Amino acid sequence: MTETSSTAPGDPSTPLAVRLRGIGKRFPGVIANDDVNIDVRRGTIHAVVGENGAGKSTLMKILYGVQPPDSGTIEIGGSQVKLSSPADAIKAGVGMVFQHFMLADNLTVLENVVLGAEKQHGIGRKARAEVRRISDAYGLGVDPDALVEDLGVGARQRVEILKVLFRGARTIILDEPTAVLVPQEVDELFGNLRELKKEGLAVLFISHKLDEVLSVADEITVIRRGTTVRTVVPADVTSRQLAELMVGSELPSPGISEKATSTRVQLAVTGLTLHDAAGRALLDDVTFEIRRGEILGIAGVEGNGQAELVEAVMGMRPGATGSIVLTDQDLAPMSTLRRREAGIGYIPEDRHRHGLLLDSPLWENRVLGHQSRPPSASGRLIKRGAARADTQRIIDAYDVRTPGTDVPARALSGGNQQKLIVGREMSGDPILLIAAHPTRGVDVGAQAAIWNHIREARADGLSVLLISADLDELIGLSDRIEVVLRGRLVGEFDPSDVTPEQLGSAMTGAGSAA
Amino acid sequence: MTRVLRALLGLLAPLLALVAAFVITSLVLISAGDPVGEVWSEILQVPETRNVANIVNQACVLYLSGLAVAVAFRMNLFNIGVDGQYRIAAFVGAVVAGEAWLPGYLNTALAIVCAMAVGALWAGIAGVLRATRGVSEVISTIMLNFISTSVVAYLLREAAVREEGSNTIGTKEIPEGSRIGPIPLAAADSGPTAEIYGFVVLAVLAGVAYWFVMSRTRFGFDLRATGQSTTAAVASGINVRRMTIITMMLSGAVAGLVGLPILFGEAYSYGSTFQSGLGFAGIAIALLGRNNPVGIALAALLFAFLEEQSNPLQILVGVSPEIVAITQGVIVLTVVISYEVVRRFLTRREQSRVAKAERPADPAGPADPAPTQDQEARA
Amino acid sequence: MRRSSTTLAALFSASILALTACGGGGDDTASDGGSDSEGGSDSGLKVGLAYDVGGRGDQSFNDSAAAGLDQAIEEYGIDPQESAAEDGESESAREERLRTFVDAGYDPIIAVGFAYEAAVAKVAEEFPDSHFAIIDSETVEADNVANLVFAEEEGSFLVGAAAALKTETDNVGFVGGVETPLIQKFEAGYIAGAEAVNPDIEVQSTYLTQIPDFSGFADPARGKTAAEGMFDGGADIVYHAAGGSGGGVFEAAAESDNLAIGVDSDQYETADPSVQDVIMTSMLKNIDVAVFEYLTAVNDGEFPSGITRYDLSVDGVGYSTSGGQVDDIADELDEYKQQIIDGEVEVPSAP
Repeated sequence: MTETSSTAPGDPSTPLAVRLRGIGKRFPGVIANDDVNIDVRRGTIHAVVGENGAGKSTLMKILYGVQPPDSGTIEIGGSQVKLSSPADAIKAGVGMVFQHFMLADNLTVLENVVLGAEKQHGIGRKARAEVRRISDAYGLGVDPDALVEDLGVGARQRVEILKVLFRGARTIILDEPTAVLVPQEVDELFGNLRELKKEGLAVLFISHKLDEVLSVADEITVIRRGTTVRTVVPADVTSRQLAELMVGSELPSPGISEKATSTRVQLAVTGLTLHDAAGRALLDDVTFEIRRGEILGIAGVEGNGQAELVEAVMGMRPGATGSIVLTDQDLAPMSTLRRREAGIGYIPEDRHRHGLLLDSPLWENRVLGHQSRPPSASGRLIKRGAARADTQRIIDAYDVRTPGTDVPARALSGGNQQKLIVGREMSGDPILLIAAHPTRGVDVGAQAAIWNHIREARADGLSVLLISADLDELIGLSDRIEVVLRGRLVGEFDPSDVTPEQLGSAMTGAGSAA
Repeated sequence: MTRVLRALLGLLAPLLALVAAFVITSLVLISAGDPVGEVWSEILQVPETRNVANIVNQACVLYLSGLAVAVAFRMNLFNIGVDGQYRIAAFVGAVVAGEAWLPGYLNTALAIVCAMAVGALWAGIAGVLRATRGVSEVISTIMLNFISTSVVAYLLREAAVREEGSNTIGTKEIPEGSRIGPIPLAAADSGPTAEIYGFVVLAVLAGVAYWFVMSRTRFGFDLRATGQSTTAAVASGINVRRMTIITMMLSGAVAGLVGLPILFGEAYSYGSTFQSGLGFAGIAIALLGRNNPVGIALAALLFAFLEEQSNPLQILVGVSPEIVAITQGVIVLTVVISYEVVRRFLTRREQSRVAKAERPADPAGPADPAPTQDQEARA
Repeated sequence: MRRSSTTLAALFSASILALTACGGGGDDTASDGGSDSEGGSDSGLKVGLAYDVGGRGDQSFNDSAAAGLDQAIEEYGIDPQESAAEDGESESAREERLRTFVDAGYDPIIAVGFAYEAAVAKVAEEFPDSHFAIIDSETVEADNVANLVFAEEEGSFLVGAAAALKTETDNVGFVGGVETPLIQKFEAGYIAGAEAVNPDIEVQSTYLTQIPDFSGFADPARGKTAAEGMFDGGADIVYHAAGGSGGGVFEAAAESDNLAIGVDSDQYETADPSVQDVIMTSMLKNIDVAVFEYLTAVNDGEFPSGITRYDLSVDGVGYSTSGGQVDDIADELDEYKQQIIDGEVEVPSAP
């Protein structure tokens, strides 16, 4: 292959940076990838889109040498390679920016970049010069001597990209890079990516957010159920067509039909305050109400107090002050169990850590959080038969796809696990549902189902505290949206006339609250 | 169907382990230059009645120890302190029973309750430290073992009665009316009698209680849930600190039973030759038995059986007793490994079943592959 | 035969035999392990020796018993078999050890250590036609049991007196292995001996471990630490009754230019040459003599029973003179010895 810097997207004459042919990968009982074919040209941004669980991540892990493929070939820069470790991939010029940053907070940018790549340019002046050079060449605007802990999310991501470039990558994989960014930061990122492609690098961009993909990508490959469905050029498709390619069906929308909120307040939180060990405020005088049949959405960049708010209401955080009143009951002195018994359902943010016993059968997971209430318990005894029967009810009602109630929770896919949790938390007729990222990491089908269930319960008078990073979900589902910033509620929005951009501004503290 | 298969596979694992242990031990014997054939024929002979009695008795003690460890294991707590707990508990039990404040079996019952209470309190120290100060129970129970040794040695000196001319010391003997009579296994034919501890019945009851509490009660559910995932337990409303303390105390209470079969069925006093080290064997046995009450019983029997082989192997075959220890170690290792192999196989099967269950809905649902083909043709 | 074979056993052993092409039948009860039984005339005597934890090679009292056995093998050509106790074994394991010996035709059976007290009592009753000897216990009373016991306190008295005569700081030490009544006899005698010479002498005393932790008999590092503490505390002579841990006591003495007293055997002869010079004397507890004398009697066709006390009067205990460091006080020590034998001095056996 000859070295050119042609940037004609989709032009078959542009030399290929990466060529995947017939990639297959099986996991026990699951075909993660099957006959995947992708051509990534130099100087282009190539998006790979697909639902959660479609096999995008597996594919990228294969390309980055984390997992070997069972079949198929990988060509990089025209020659076939065998990648058995990320080190091989880096050597071949492939770098990866993970969704979760891998940076040491207490080190400077330079130290983070050089860490593990000391042989490239040393650790001294030469390395600093190289970091500056890369930063300027691609417009990353990174100060090599800044402490990483002082950087925002967007800047951290640019450090990750710089790390990859520093190691000589010519092909960069970005795994869901926008998931952690607010809209303004997303625009900045796309600016950086365009710089990269201008310099002749190939960017592999993984996402399931179609609007973003259409705006930035030169080519888009759609993956569905482990295999590449098609590769298209953005100009030829609409967002809707792309979605249909992804799921083979019409996209569900979270939209809410009617406003049916009563005036009765079911949850009243007043002056909720929580400090960390160092005395910094995690929650600062948080006050809000949720009425019967109302969904209150909390918008915010992650880490601004959402998790703490949820845990404080659930009683999982000792040291919180302020009053929390559910209907007429003061929750403050109650244990988590008592609060649950008082009528709170809880869909946790991290279902693996907080929502499930992964190695226990589904019926035991049904009991979890309800071990003091019928039908799963009577007195001090667990009623196994009744718990199994009620698990079956949830399986049927919530379309949990499983061969039975004795299957360990770990065996289910994310969407089915989440449906089980939703079904469980809806049982026992809760007054209040706390739903933290209820559709994170679940497929479109399960997402629609979960939205439906929340909506139906709302119509029956359920109050919902909804925390989500997905602004579309927040806007579509909520009756009201509060924005949280550094532990404070900084503004209330009406979802019917707010745009994601406006929310984004409020979330970063850039704009003024409406 | 699946349950049957599961049960079969459950049997497969230990079988696999035994075969592997057999092969590995044979290789060890060969490399040590020992007569492999003789060793195995000695081990695999049908034991005499009195050997059976010894095995059952030893297994009874080991079973209680394994059970004590398993209680904590179920909550992901590593109670290494069963050893110290049972010794201090047996000592207290021996003193109480020896003093005989109550008549007959009331005395026995009181001594058992006291022993369990002492074991619970001793283990509870580690539980409280863990719950309130985050001290690893591994460290604290090891330390408590040492402390227990010294405390018992000191108290034994204070409480000891010593027969003139004897080099052993012990607590006051338990009066005959408070001993737990043995169950004769067979009429004594020539000299040695074959009797098993009456306490075996209590050990079986302890096993049943363990099973019931773990699998049928809310407490057992909370305990297991906490063991699997502390975070999920907290979210479900379980008070993890409280559970930590209670579980350690329960484990200690069971540990308090460990020395009692010996105390009430054989030694009748706690002295310098009272069997030690049972708590550590319990760890291996709980692991081997996968915290399952029946599994622990089988593991305890296997350990007791192997220990019973030590003497004949030395005296009749001339093999060093270390071989028996090696075999025990090899069996624990191979069981752990083969369980893991079988578990992975089961998980794989489970996943493919789930995948199958998830799939049939797909073609029936809206995600029909056909439109894709169309689109592909259109483009 | 004590057990009956099963087909399973046959199957397994057959496969193993084929695998290893190893000869030897399945039910051979004759011994082929243990020590060599060559030399001397073959008396046909089958002797079983049940050691305490540590067995042969513990450089302590098990070895001492083994030495007596070896001498008997050499002179009478007996057929021996040995078996050692395991740490933390059950009472039934000890009983079963003795029974296995009986079943395999060994007679007499010598049990080394007081741990066998209960087991010997029980098994001797079960098998009245077999003969047993037990070392360090005099509580078992039966016609077929010989109790071989020692007056450790008497020997310890003499080395205590020696230490008091030799010390320049009027400060001596005692390191016991495990705090048991047996080792306390050593301590009691030692203190009494030292105080007999100098009522104002300071005797530091410590034990390395407590029951049931018997590691104090095999932990030189701990022995060294304990002795160092005593030397730092002003002692210049330390007596140990700590089996294998004594090596550490000698090291500590050598490094601080002080003296030590050995135990059980003449440790001047057996210790590492680098520490030989610090071993002023050793308290001798002649288990080997006791074992050999017992086997001599058995070889002569007589099974002794009852208590045989090895004290100063029969030279069952004593002190060693190798190295010549106590030659100058030998007269005084022999005087004490005579007084003890005559009963003029009563040596306590408990502190």
